[in-house]
Amino acid sequence: MARVYNWQIGREMSYWYPESRPKRQFAAVFDTNKCIACQTCTLACKTTWTSGKGQEYMLWNNVETKPYGSYPLAWDLELLEVLNGGRWNGRTYEGETIFESAPAGARVLSWRPAAEDYAYPNVGEDDCAGQVDGGAGFSLPHMAWFYYLARICNHCTYPACLASCPRGSIYKRPEDGIVLVDQGRCRGYQECVKGCPYKKVYFNPMTGTSEKCIACFPKVETGLQPQCFVNCIGKIRMAGYISRPEAARPDNPIDYLVHVRKVALPLYPQFGLEPNVYYIPPVHVPPAFLRQMFGPGVDDAIETYRNAPNDPDLAGLLALFGSSESVMMRWARRGDEIVGADDRGTPLVRVLMREPVHVRPAFDRLYQITRTNCP
Amino acid sequence: MQRVIGAVLVLGITAGASCQRAATVTPEVVAVRAAAVPEDPGDRAWQSVPEHVARLLVQDVVEPRLLQPSTPEVRVRAITDGSLIAFRLEWADAELNDRPGPGRFADGCAVQLPQKSAAPAPDPQMGQAGHGVQIAFWRADWQASVDGRGDSITDLYPNASIDHYPFDAPSLERGSETQTKMARRFAPADALGNRRGGLRSSAVEDLIAEGPGTLGPAPASVSRGRGVRTPTGWLVVIVRPVPDGLSPTSRTQVAFAVWEGSAEEAGSRKMRSGWAGLAMRGPS
Repeated sequence: MARVYNWQIGREMSYWYPESRPKRQFAAVFDTNKCIACQTCTLACKTTWTSGKGQEYMLWNNVETKPYGSYPLAWDLELLEVLNGGRWNGRTYEGETIFESAPAGARVLSWRPAAEDYAYPNVGEDDCAGQVDGGAGFSLPHMAWFYYLARICNHCTYPACLASCPRGSIYKRPEDGIVLVDQGRCRGYQECVKGCPYKKVYFNPMTGTSEKCIACFPKVETGLQPQCFVNCIGKIRMAGYISRPEAARPDNPIDYLVHVRKVALPLYPQFGLEPNVYYIPPVHVPPAFLRQMFGPGVDDAIETYRNAPNDPDLAGLLALFGSSESVMMRWARRGDEIVGADDRGTPLVRVLMREPVHVRPAFDRLYQITRTNCP
Repeated sequence: MQRVIGAVLVLGITAGASCQRAATVTPEVVAVRAAAVPEDPGDRAWQSVPEHVARLLVQDVVEPRLLQPSTPEVRVRAITDGSLIAFRLEWADAELNDRPGPGRFADGCAVQLPQKSAAPAPDPQMGQAGHGVQIAFWRADWQASVDGRGDSITDLYPNASIDHYPFDAPSLERGSETQTKMARRFAPADALGNRRGGLRSSAVEDLIAEGPGTLGPAPASVSRGRGVRTPTGWLVVIVRPVPDGLSPTSRTQVAFAVWEGSAEEAGSRKMRSGWAGLAMRGPS
């Protein structure tokens, strides 16, 4: 195994291949506080890519309710259990990653979901298990909170699917870091399905190969954001490219949120994959739970996010989410106006910090008539 | 109903065949000359052929390795007509695994031969650079497809629920170019000619390799075969052209591998043999 640097865990670690970062890395920020689990992203992906035979239970994009929901079933709990916790010392992870704790004969520490684990997406996640009389009647470890976690492939810097494939059928594109399964080479051994800790590679029983999120690369190549991003009703998502921390540019929206303001955090950084989808953590969830899921930066991230009303730059950038189908490589705030631009600085979209408010009284004094809301 | 009766007959025949052990057990695989090679695992011709017992080892050389042994041995017989050679592989397997799916793996077996018979023999682990091997690979789920299992998700998961396939829209003429094209859009492996699943006309695939991780399709499909389930395991016949170097006066090598689906064996997680001698016997 090679030694590589993983900035998310603040140290070098072991990986199957030497460090080889792409020219630029596709990345995304999801604001969990805005997600309403409408599943429009899920359907946008499904209708675009996975409507074929053998893809019926394949969700390259899914939204699950935390803490009890998961797809496939218990994807995160199963791995956390075998990983046996893990210690952080400040911003440095001192436990073992899934590469460093790989058992004999395997390239990563992993577990394999059964077919049944894919059978019930979202079923029962938001339901009460019984009658609740006279107020809260639950007696569960997590009482009166939940949130929605939208998930796609993380297009990791150190993908476990890629490391797991004995045939080299999975590759990371040097031009944008998107991780793909070569459908002409895959022989369906399912090592990647087992190896990916996020369980974002799916086996297709009809084609006999494994398939995964492709970050809508035909769109990304033309400067457009993926389908699950542009169809998001809640405008929770922004796609772009992330730099290494030492090369972060404040005018790059992703860099600003992840590196400069540190308000968006990786999902389970302790696994060691350096995932490239970053989450603004939910503000109402007990921090201990969030620290396990997003690492030690959670408390600062929530404080920064809560202060957004007094932070025009951060609030302004958050207003750019979902404002354009194009990938915004740069951004700037000029007073109350936020501009998203391409990599040459040409403006793509302008949004206002606050939408102008127009009050239309119910009673029209001019015509002495009460208005209705009929269109 | 006819298919069921046929299956029962085949099972009866093959069960009988597996009970009648060959009179001789040979230290190498001896292909006996005959007028024709039998493709049916239950053919009576197999009864008089000597048997070679290939001891299987765990593949523990390259990751991902198999650490727990499963199938201990495969019993091999061979018949040749001078241009074709048929291998019959028999092994014990308590559980039928012929349905693909996440976390599901099919039973399988393979016959490996050196691409060229010149010494030294390639590495028995899939060959090596410049010294390739050719492999005929049989899989139980492909056999199920050849034997008539349908090509829908409910053939694999009877309780699966499907809302809609866009290529099944009433507005599209079934079998039309437009409809086929749309279906292929959602099956990229098929579109690239990488037929790992779906409907098949053969349960055997021809492959070549020059070392672990290099397995790829052979330039031409030359092998065929058939596997049947017995009460105790599998009987599989693989028929292919006589390999380079095998004649009444010269010999070559052959190796075998078995994948046990219930043990999640696939790819390099397998039980495999070393090289065994392969000779031809009988009138030329």
